[in-house]
Formats: sequence, C-alpha cells, structure tokens
Amino acid sequence: MIKPLALRTWSFLKSFQLTIVLLALLMALVVLCTLAQVEMGTQGAVNAYMRSFLVWKHFASVPFGVPVFPGGALVGLLLTINLIGKTLDIKLSWGRSGMWLVHAGLVILFAGEFVAGMMQVDTQMSIEVGQTVNYVQAYKNMELAVIDVTDPKWDEVYSVPDTLLAKGDPIAIPGTPITVKVKKYFPNAELTTLVPGAEPSLATAGVGTGVSVVGIPVVSADNEMNQTSAFVEFTAGGRSYGTWLASVALGAPQSFTHEGRTYAISMRLRRQYLPYAFTLKQFRHDVYPGTQIAKNFSSLVQVVNPSRQESREVLIYMNQPLRYEGKTFYQASFGKNDTLSILSVVENPGWLLPYVSCVLVSIGLLVHFAIVLRRSLKRRQDQKEG
Amino acid sequence: MKSLTKYLPWGAFALALLIALVVALPGGKVRGFDVNTFGTLPILEGGRVKPLDSVARNSLLVIHSRQGFRHEGRAIGPDEWILDVMFRPQVADQQPIFVIDDLEVLGLIGAKQTKNRNYFSFADLSSHLEEIQKQAMTAQPIPPQKRTRFQGAIVNLFDRVYLYYKLRNTLQLAGSPGIAWELQSLGTPEAALRHQDLTSLAHFRILPPPAGAGPDAWMSIGEGLTAANSGSGLHPGLVPMAKLNLAYVANDATAFNQALTEMKGVVTTLKPGALSHAANEITFNRAQPFFVGLTIYFIAFLVLCVSWIYKPELLRPTAYSLLFAGAIVHTLGLAARIILMGRPPVTNLYSSAIFVGWAAVILGLIIERMYRKGFGTVVASMAGFASLIVAQNLGTDGDTMGMMVAVLDSNFWLATHVVTITIGYSGTFLAGAIAIAYALRKHIVVKTDVETDKALVDMAYGIICFALFFSFVGTVLGGIWADQSWGRFWGWDPKENGALLIVLWNAIILHARMAGYVRDRGIMVMAIFGNIITAASWFGVNLLGVGLHAYGFTDSGFVWLMGFWLTQLIFMGICYAPPRFWAPRPGAKA
Repeated sequence: MIKPLALRTWSFLKSFQLTIVLLALLMALVVLCTLAQVEMGTQGAVNAYMRSFLVWKHFASVPFGVPVFPGGALVGLLLTINLIGKTLDIKLSWGRSGMWLVHAGLVILFAGEFVAGMMQVDTQMSIEVGQTVNYVQAYKNMELAVIDVTDPKWDEVYSVPDTLLAKGDPIAIPGTPITVKVKKYFPNAELTTLVPGAEPSLATAGVGTGVSVVGIPVVSADNEMNQTSAFVEFTAGGRSYGTWLASVALGAPQSFTHEGRTYAISMRLRRQYLPYAFTLKQFRHDVYPGTQIAKNFSSLVQVVNPSRQESREVLIYMNQPLRYEGKTFYQASFGKNDTLSILSVVENPGWLLPYVSCVLVSIGLLVHFAIVLRRSLKRRQDQKEG
Repeated sequence: MKSLTKYLPWGAFALALLIALVVALPGGKVRGFDVNTFGTLPILEGGRVKPLDSVARNSLLVIHSRQGFRHEGRAIGPDEWILDVMFRPQVADQQPIFVIDDLEVLGLIGAKQTKNRNYFSFADLSSHLEEIQKQAMTAQPIPPQKRTRFQGAIVNLFDRVYLYYKLRNTLQLAGSPGIAWELQSLGTPEAALRHQDLTSLAHFRILPPPAGAGPDAWMSIGEGLTAANSGSGLHPGLVPMAKLNLAYVANDATAFNQALTEMKGVVTTLKPGALSHAANEITFNRAQPFFVGLTIYFIAFLVLCVSWIYKPELLRPTAYSLLFAGAIVHTLGLAARIILMGRPPVTNLYSSAIFVGWAAVILGLIIERMYRKGFGTVVASMAGFASLIVAQNLGTDGDTMGMMVAVLDSNFWLATHVVTITIGYSGTFLAGAIAIAYALRKHIVVKTDVETDKALVDMAYGIICFALFFSFVGTVLGGIWADQSWGRFWGWDPKENGALLIVLWNAIILHARMAGYVRDRGIMVMAIFGNIITAASWFGVNLLGVGLHAYGFTDSGFVWLMGFWLTQLIFMGICYAPPRFWAPRPGAKA
C-alpha cells in the first residue's frame, strides 16, 4: 500500500505537469516580488516572496497572517526535487549528455540561490575621510549596546540584538554583572518632547525622562530607517540603576557607573567587529566635464590587519570591489559633501556555485546543439543519398 | 519577363541604397551662409565633445519633437535655426516651434486648442513665463511617476522653454549687441556681471581647451570673457566668434564664411581631431540611418504584402532585397554609433530598441534564406520597422549618445551581458511575430497548407530555443557582473527579474511541447504571450522606477505598453480560435 503511494508521489514529483506548474508559479512570484518592491523595498519584497516558504498576508478581519501563495523557497525546493528527478530520468546516453549537463548545472544554480538565501549576510561600512573603522553594520537590524568605557584606551562592547529585546525577558549580559529588563520595546517609534500634563515617561533616568515615545508601524523600504527605541532598566548587584530610554533617534550619550566601572548605553545599527580595520585616505567623486553625471566613485583605503601583519593600500571603485577574508566590499554610496564613503559588504559562502553552474549549463547547451546539428546534417545527407 | 525577375530585385536594392546615400549628402548654403560647416564646429555638452549640429538637432527635437520645421513657406533646418536662436533671437523668437498638446497647459497660457494652434513661438509664451515657471516649480519636487498629467506637461514645457532660453544666452546675452561689443567693453563695471550670467546660462562650451590646459577644459563664451576680463589672456577663439556674430547679424555671408574658416583653424590648432570627429558625427546625423532604414523596411513589407496577390515570383525576391538594403543601412547606422561613442551597441533604452530591431532583422534574413516562403521577410521587415519606430519615439528627450553613469561604465559587461540579453529580446519578439503571422494566415488563407504551417511552427520553435539560450546566458552573465562588481550574484533587481521571466517562459514553452501538452497552435499562442513578457521586461521596469536599471520613462509609455499588451492578447485570441470560425459553412472546408 505504502510502496505504490510513494511511487505515485515520486512520479508526481518528477512529472512534467509539476515542472510547468512550478515554473508558472515562479513567474508569478517574480512578478509579484517585483511589483512589491515599489512599496516594500527590495530586501523586504525578496524576504516576503522569495526567501519564504509561504507568502503570508495579513487581513484586517483576521488577527493572524494567512498563507496566500507558495513562497519562493517552497517553489524552488520542489523545482529542485523535480529537476533532480527529471535529470535522473534522462537516459544516460551520449546523445543526452548535453541535457544532463544543463540540468545538473541548474540544480547547482538553485543550490547557490538557497545558500545565498540562507547564509548571505549583507552589511555596510561607512567611513569618513581620515576615519578608521573596524566593524560593519547591518542595514536595518538594531542592537542595544552596553559599552564599558572605563579604560580610556579600550572599550569593552556588549550588545543585545533587537530580536532578544522584542521578547521582553530579562537579559543577563554575560561577562558583566548587569541585567537588562525590557520595560517596553518599539520596533519603530516617534519621539517628541514630553509636554506638561501628558502621561509621564517610563524612564526614570537619563534624557528619556523628558521624552514621549509613540510606536509607529515598521518601515521596510530601502531608503527608510526604523527609529527603534526601548525603555530598559539596568540592574546590577541587586541594585537598580533606573529605567533608561535607548533609541536610535537619541544622539546624546548616556551612561551609568557600577562599582567604579562606567557603562555607556545606546541603541544603534547592529555591528559586527572585524579583526582588521579600514582607514579611508581619500574619496573621489568624478563627474563628466560640464555635467553632474557621475563618472566614477572611488575610495582609497588603508587595510590594517594585525593578525596577518598586513598594512596596505587598496583602491575600491565602481565595478572593482575588494574581496577580503570572505567579505566583498564595494563602493555603494557617499555623503557629507563627498567626505563620507559608504561601502556595501556582502558575505556569501556560496558565491562560487553560480560560476560552476554557468560553466556546466553553457557546456551542456553547446554539446546539445552540436549533437542536434550533427543529427540534422546526417539526416540531410541521408536524404540526399537516399 | 525573365530578365525583369532577375533585375528588379537588384534594381530595388541599388535604388534603396542610393537614396540612403543621397540623404547623407550635405545640403546647400542657406542665403549664402555655410551653415553646414557652422554645424560641424565641435563643442562640449553633456560630458562629451560633439558637433554643434547635434546640439541643434537634439534641442529642436526636444522643443519641437522634430529636427526641422517650415516657417513662412521655407524649410528651416536645425543648423540655421540654432544660428538664429543664438545670434538673431528677434527672428527665432517669432518662429512657432513649441508644441503644446495638453489642454490644461493651453488653458493656462490662455489659448484655445484649435487644429492649427498647437505651435507657439517664444514670443507667444513670453508673457506667460512667470506663470509657467511658478507652476513648474510647484510640480518639480514631486517624483515624475506621481505627477498628474498637468504637472508632467507643465514641467515638460518649462524644461523646453528653459532649454531655449539657455541656447539664446549661450554665445551672447539675448538683446545685447554681441560678442564683439563684449570684447570692446572688457573692464567696464557691468561687464563682469554679464560674463557671469553668460557663464551660468551657457548650454554648451564652444571654446576648445587653450594651450596648456587639461583636455576637458573647454570654455563657454562667458568663461572666455571672464578670463579675458581678469587679464589671464584672450582665448584665440573669441575673435573669430565675434566676427561670426557680426557677420551673421549684418547678413554678410562672405564675411561669415571667412570667420568660420578662421574658427576652424583655431579648433584645429587647439584640439586636433575634434573637427574630424565632429564631421563624422554630423554625417551620421544627416544620414538618419534609422529613419531611412525604417522607411525601407516599410516598403519591403508593403511589397511583400502585394506579392501575396500579385506576381509572387517577381515581388517576393524584390521585398527580400529591399529588406537586405534596409538591413545594410541599419547595420551601418549601428556601426557608426558604436564607433562614435566608443561603446558596445546597447547603452540605453533608445539603443536597445535599435539593436533589438537589428538582431530581429538579421534573424529574419537568415530564416528567409532557409525557408524562402516570404515569412522571414514579412516578420523581419515588420519587426525592424516597429522597433525603429519605438526607437524614434524614445529618442525625443535629447542626446541619444549620453554618457554612462559610473555603475554601468564597463565596456566589457555592456558588450557581453547587455548584448546577449538584448538578442534574447529580439528572438522572443521574432518568435512572437512569426506566431502572429501564423495566426493571421490561418484565418485569411482558405486553402489549408500543412507544409507551410509546419514550416512556421518549426521556425518559431527554433527561434524560441535560440532566444532561451541567449536570455539564459545573458541573465547569468548579468549575475556574474553583479557578483564581480557588488559581491552578490542575484539581487532580484526588477530588470534581472524581467530577464528571468523571459527565460522561464521560454523554458515553459519548450517543456510543454516536449511533454506533449501543446501542439502547433498551443506553441504559437504561447509564443505570442512571449511578446507580452518581453515588453514587460524591457519597458515595464522603467515604469516601476526602482532598481539599478530604472532610467526614465514617461506615462505615455505606460499607455503604449498597455496598448501593446492588449493587441497581443487579441492576437492570442485570434490564434486560438479555430480557422474560419466566423464562416460556419460546413461545406466550405476545403
């Protein structure tokens, strides 16, 4: 009973019907994802449509999301299974070797996109001319940073990611006696000065005492940023150091002192520290003569890596990124009157897969065309002779 | 009769090329003034050195939607027009060259729309300039996609008026006595202010880099005067320009032509090579190879249509040789653009239309050689004609050889990724065109001809395979470009997605055929739908206005795209309908 069912499922999974349905679904997803980019931004739309197993939609009348369409990950997975099944079905003969290569290449291409979807990390690095930076930061995700600034030569950074803050449980920061209690967390908020007579602020210490915070919907468009904010209470050694407002919108530094150690607190874009540092020596923004059309952007960067005893200059410019320690740094943007350079940083362990796939598919297509051509020439010859 | 069959195709071929050659020859002098040579003077505008003629043509195209016009019973070409704008504004201001179609804008300037009254002169508009500017300034901050029809139209009118205004004040401040007078009054109190105005309003820089300056250090007349005023030397081009100015205003053709020779001498000394480069470009401008090409394609199409009812053995080869002549003109134009720009063929939307048409025509020629049934000719001439019409309409917003923004500045990837993708577009369109021909034929031709139907399906199938290959390779090359440049292979950028859609759709067609879900008719219906997808991928992205590839498109483009989609849906319906379905005579079936 089970065997025929499994067989039927397998023959369904490798059927041509499924191929066509899945390709059509993928087309629909691509169209939807492209249209959604106008509102949601590229990253938001890709996450919603392509990098999810189901596309969820929130209706006003239903409190939870409803899956309305298979997502790119599901379609991609099924298509890969379908592709593998079909490829295995292709008769192993020299006449079919081209098609074999093409489809094997496609499997690898899909695998590459899966790896990218699961493991690719997109961050950025903004450096001002003369500045030295040893971290990359996220585009959207935030963290609550608690920095031990006691030693003037050395900062000890502890950070709590926004996802943990959102859960609301008390968080004991490892390596310190401090525990963070999240009183209220706003993924996006609007901060205004507290007017007399309004509901008092949750904060009992720092600048937050005079600020009123209202939660607003999260934004995901490429050029918008969430004003993530939280009221957090710090306790250490059984003593409370008050409830503080930490927000991306607040610029002023806030800190408290526990047992002679001073901790600065701030909400900021999530950082990843690197074992090496970049110093921006020069930024160039060339235009075509007599116009505003950009001809070239380039950043001259000094890369200092103590672990490799390396210190060298690198020029990063358009179409010419720096690949370093598994990360790719490319010239993405600029600001502050051409004194700030913004490098986009991508880390994708599967970056080689598309190349492999491309070579396989190209060879496969050429082989196939050669075979078909030979066959048709032979047929023509036969016709002539016969 | 037999000799006619032999010679008519050759005759038509030679005649078409001869006409193309005649168009490229320079015209005569206007009122004795050598305006053609004036047009060859090289200038710097939009980041590149080009002949003044290009500025004149593109400006007139932007302002007037055409490269020439008739006024007081005389045809006025771009070079004569720009001379009047710059040196005799009182004459040019009276010429009705501003096209205004929008009713609300017409209402704003107080004119009722009548059949003849869509053209206005600068003088007509001058009393409304303040209002036009005020309205345009309110609309300008709104992103183009979100502007209302009126806002779009008023910004457009303002841009055109401003361009005219700048041209009017590039060589001399309009209404002032001219360059010679400026040279005489150097050092007077108001001179410096006037030079500043001239500098800031200048649309282009006509004085070649002086000896010792950098290669890009072209100067406008204002900058040249400022330099002279501050004592850093008189640019050698200023005196001949002053003479040109005086001679043109005084209507002295001999002196004008003499001053022109002098100015050419200055250019040759300061910037050797610029003059000949400009002269090449002006030949290209005059030849208008794409306009000539589309005319020849259209004639080829007509001849072929006639061949179906009249003397096919004579007219079909004639249509083919005309198509061939059109392809030669088209190819020469494409090659000229590549040489002039020093770039691969496709650099913007305009050039992609030209290239899509070119590749479709070449494919069509090959098909015709293989099958010789006239279908290759008909679809190729139609595809070539249609894509060049699209190109003509895309090229109305100025210089079509503009500079590449930094991110796209890579000849290698432009030559590989962009070209292969564009060939993929061509193939998909050509397959769609063959399918349309198949659909129409099925309903028009009474006698069923299985062999011809089979040949058409074979052609479409072969081209779909071809298109799949090129769009797939092109898409992957795009991914590799992205990985090389930005460290990510695939970013789901709208244009990448569009290319992916074409790949997926062609793959669906091939798999559906292989699995036997569709037969001839089904493949043809699907091939027509390929046109919809390709158009969406090609133009739809620009309407969305997101991503790296969004480089501008107007709402009228949206209407056209919708219209195109609708016609394709109708063709799909026609293709799907059984043959002769409107003539339900059971006995009529042959």
